[in-house]
Amino acid sequence: MPALPSRGTTPGPPNLILDPTGTTTTTRTAKPRAPRARRPASLRGATVGLLVNTKQNAAPFLDELGRLLKERYGATGLVARTKVNFAQPAPDELIKEMAASCDVIVTGIGDCGSCSASAVADGIAFEASNLPAAAICSDAFGVTADAMAELHGAPGYRYATTPHPVAVLTPDQVRERAAQVLDDVVALLTA
Amino acid sequence: MTPTQAPDPEAAQAGIEYCYAQGWSDGLPLVPASQPLVAEFLATTSRAPDEVIGELEQVGRDCTVYLAAVNAAMAGCLPEYFPVVLAAFDALMRERAARGGGWQSTSGPAPMIVVNGPVRHELGFNTSGGAFGPGFRPNATIPRAIGLIVRNAFGIRPHVLEQATQGLPGRWSICLAENEEESPWPPFAIDGGQPAGVSAVSATLLRTCEFVDNRHTPDPEQVLWDIADTISRTGSLIFRDTSAGVVFCPEHAQMLAGAGYAKADVQAWLMEHCGRTGADLRRAGKNGLRGIARFADPDESADATFTRILPSPRHVPLVVAGARNAAISMVVRVFGEWSGTATPLAPLPAARERPAVGLKT
Repeated sequence: MPALPSRGTTPGPPNLILDPTGTTTTTRTAKPRAPRARRPASLRGATVGLLVNTKQNAAPFLDELGRLLKERYGATGLVARTKVNFAQPAPDELIKEMAASCDVIVTGIGDCGSCSASAVADGIAFEASNLPAAAICSDAFGVTADAMAELHGAPGYRYATTPHPVAVLTPDQVRERAAQVLDDVVALLTA
Repeated sequence: MTPTQAPDPEAAQAGIEYCYAQGWSDGLPLVPASQPLVAEFLATTSRAPDEVIGELEQVGRDCTVYLAAVNAAMAGCLPEYFPVVLAAFDALMRERAARGGGWQSTSGPAPMIVVNGPVRHELGFNTSGGAFGPGFRPNATIPRAIGLIVRNAFGIRPHVLEQATQGLPGRWSICLAENEEESPWPPFAIDGGQPAGVSAVSATLLRTCEFVDNRHTPDPEQVLWDIADTISRTGSLIFRDTSAGVVFCPEHAQMLAGAGYAKADVQAWLMEHCGRTGADLRRAGKNGLRGIARFADPDESADATFTRILPSPRHVPLVVAGARNAAISMVVRVFGEWSGTATPLAPLPAARERPAVGLKT
């Protein structure tokens, strides 16, 4: 057993137990409240962005939602994009491009530890670019999605949920799920 | 220390309970860190306390040298371990998974830290039996320090931003000091690009460790087939390729080397022989490929095709650890892929020597 090094040789402040989180130091300040985009009254004539995070069944889920938004709510255009790294927030260029070409956006499916959190982070980033967003997460990841919203200055940020699991659904079941979440998505996107 | 000189147990208990109450603990007691103690950690590095050594963009948090020192102190490290903690953290932050969503993952991956060079003996690392622990302070507390940094400095806590479905045994406790003395091959740090004789740390993330107990044959190829069977199990396959290392016990390594296998030969053999037929993969619902992700494809046309799963030697890292008392090796299932680099230990600041702690070599 090595001898313990001597203690108390360094002058310093009162001998408190130190905080290992860094969150109480002066360099960190609370984030300002994240902005929320203005909602249109309806989706009639709107171009809907679909941001697919590459998780299993995310693409057919969002495709079906896009189809239903056109068929039942009068959306006219769809812009589908893929987020290559599902674990990370969407890159700024992608957010700018979609904000310029779309009126509202649907993003998902958050069904893993990092991608649920980052789907919500993306939703908040789109809102900051004045693009109303509906993030969709599996209901198994509510706590992590809510925690991410708080970190990004949007405590209580609302997103749509679909029951877990999503990855194992058949094509018919995916369409059924998309139809089930449709009204929630529209409510999130419109005033 | 006589009983009358021993510290006040009630004060110690109160400090430990204070740390629990703040939510800082990984579940086990922490050493309450004080400014004088942390100053001793900071004195072992020439890096500035406010230097940012890791950043998790998605959660808006970072870790400084100072925060790493506080967490290392709380983990039970001695100050002289701190350069190894910093090198291990640097090595981990070279892993794409550790910079991305790995700490939040449902997979709950564990860092595997490998230490090479003279520092193993200078700091009293266990380099022989029981390599995966427990029982040895540096091997146990250095990976714990990494876990506390992720929890406290990055704010990735279980059930909140950390979403491990089951996690895995050994998370925050795997730190191997390679058994260089009984390994027939060059140290792992050399595979990571460091020169011989340098103290260096390598790190990657693991999804699990699986033993291969083969003390039944003098034929090295039979040992390799046994290892290949474990590497090739379908349960671990989720993408087109995978990465699986082997932590060889000295006996297996020496048997292979004695038969003429260099590390590169072992890697080439495993790359060639690890994999499954299309029928095996289809039976497990993993035969189809969408991009790099596997899925259940009803198509039977590739049933007879053998699919290899280890794309390069870097996907088969080989380490030698443990005692020479039995032929038991460990397959280590890499989460993502190893960066292929080792991080040399920074030199100590002037006028400071790494103390010899006098443990057996």
